Amino acid sequence: MGEEHAIVRQVDEAKADMEAADRLIREYLPFIKAETAKFLHRPPREGEDDELSIAMIAFHEAVRGYSRGRGSFLKYAAVVIRSRLVDYARREARHGGHVSLDAPAGEHDGAVGDTLQGGEDHGEEITLRDATREEIEELSRQMQAFGVSLTDVAENCPRQERTLEACRRALRFAKETEGLLEEFVRMKRLPVARLAEGSGVSRKVLERHRKYLVALLLIWTNGYEIIRGHLKQVMRGGAAK
Amino acid sequence: MKYIVMECHMSYAVLLDEEGRFRKAANLHYETGETVTNPVLMQEDERKSLSPARMARRGAAAAAACLLLFLLAGGYYRSYLAPYTSILLAINPSVEMELNRQGTVVGLDGANEDGHRLLEGYSGRGKDKVTVTDELIDRAIDMGFLSEGGTVSFSIDTPDEALFQEYGLELRTEVTRHLEGRMRVVIEITSAQESGTEAPEPVAEPEPVSEPAPPAEPEPEQPQPVSEPVYGDSAYGDSGYGDDGTSDYGTGDDGDSGYGTADGGDSGYQEAAPVPQEAVQPAAPPAGTSDYGTVDGGDSGYGTADDGDSGYDGGDSGYDGGDSGYDG
Repeated sequence: MGEEHAIVRQVDEAKADMEAADRLIREYLPFIKAETAKFLHRPPREGEDDELSIAMIAFHEAVRGYSRGRGSFLKYAAVVIRSRLVDYARREARHGGHVSLDAPAGEHDGAVGDTLQGGEDHGEEITLRDATREEIEELSRQMQAFGVSLTDVAENCPRQERTLEACRRALRFAKETEGLLEEFVRMKRLPVARLAEGSGVSRKVLERHRKYLVALLLIWTNGYEIIRGHLKQVMRGGAAK
Repeated sequence: MKYIVMECHMSYAVLLDEEGRFRKAANLHYETGETVTNPVLMQEDERKSLSPARMARRGAAAAAACLLLFLLAGGYYRSYLAPYTSILLAINPSVEMELNRQGTVVGLDGANEDGHRLLEGYSGRGKDKVTVTDELIDRAIDMGFLSEGGTVSFSIDTPDEALFQEYGLELRTEVTRHLEGRMRVVIEITSAQESGTEAPEPVAEPEPVSEPAPPAEPEPEQPQPVSEPVYGDSAYGDSGYGDDGTSDYGTGDDGDSGYGTADGGDSGYQEAAPVPQEAVQPAAPPAGTSDYGTVDGGDSGYGTADDGDSGYDGGDSGYDGGDSGYDG
């Protein structure tokens, strides 16, 4: 009884805080493993079975989706975990055997032959990955100065295409306006008023997605060539308009 | 779609897609900086609380639906459930029937002790008034309340004059047919709107339940037929009554139409009602109640024709005179 109340309180706290949820998952990892084992009919191996990762993300979803009216949290979480695992198994079955072979190769967008070319290619991949990681670490550090973490940005990211496009418009305006990005980095503050005025996006939208815009604008300051290359879509949309 | 793995946690990873979206996904043993193609994205809970505007819209829609339902229910109530007409059926047990606009019984209550007894174990809700009336009369006969020569009176209270006419005619016709060949009773119909509910109007008709009955009656009771050849009667009572009168009345070609639909007849009937009440009742004793109740003269005169009715009132006094004349 008391335990039930404790977990409900913890779930409530974890709803808006992804990192608190992550801690909750560590605490309930045995439960999650047990649920996964029920599905796999064997104990899952940490770091090897994708199913365990799926079960964990399902636990996150359960934390988000839970409300007292849905009964006991753990029972609800068990249902969510199970249904996600079933979804995942179906997806894997649909893609069939060839995708499971192709999936690692898919990272290059190439055929299986590409991966067979040898160690050179693999080494290139590792180099790229390390370079990317360096960029990301630098970005994280810079974002910290604004009090924003990558998880925050993921939470704050617009979900609707329309809002996303509004944020891109603000970014394009910032990029084309001389001195604005520099001032943004120097002041460590998002110039909401100037962005709203210049891009025509409402202040409300900009304020609401402040953390996301901080990340987006920072990426377009110096030094994030790889990430910017990945985000080709964002500016392509800008060129079209 | 390709994703860059931006951040790895034990239970999730943050990915960046090519369109600039940061997504949370299952951490399928990713490493930061890796590019992945087939992540299991976390399904964001879209069931966020509604915006005030949407809430207002939903509220308005709900209110409109409620109003519509209310109006429909009101209309239904008005035409099917609300008592519109009430009929006091008095045999001796008195029963009050409440009817909706369709003429269906929506309420049934005993108006006196016998009325309660009559209704014991009986449910008339949802039946037509005629059905209920017939069934109640049958019960009254079974329970010994109504017997040969008894009186069944209906006091109809309705805001609609036309409805009064319709119900009156219908009840009279139906009850007559229902009792046909079984017993003869007097049927009285009154409007509670004009005279008091209590007043059993002398508009009452002796019930010629079966056609042969009335001829049978006058014969033993009345020396009138005998006197008829002498005078007045041939012109007035008998010839009008004996053959024409009864057939007219019973079959209803002249009589019914004259009564039910004819303007003269109706208004004559309605307004005449109170008049004869005073005029006739005192008049009745001298003439003999049996005379009045059963006698042809009144009946045929009243039943058959409109002008006959007004003629009846006049005729009545004339008749009384005639009677006394006759007696003398």
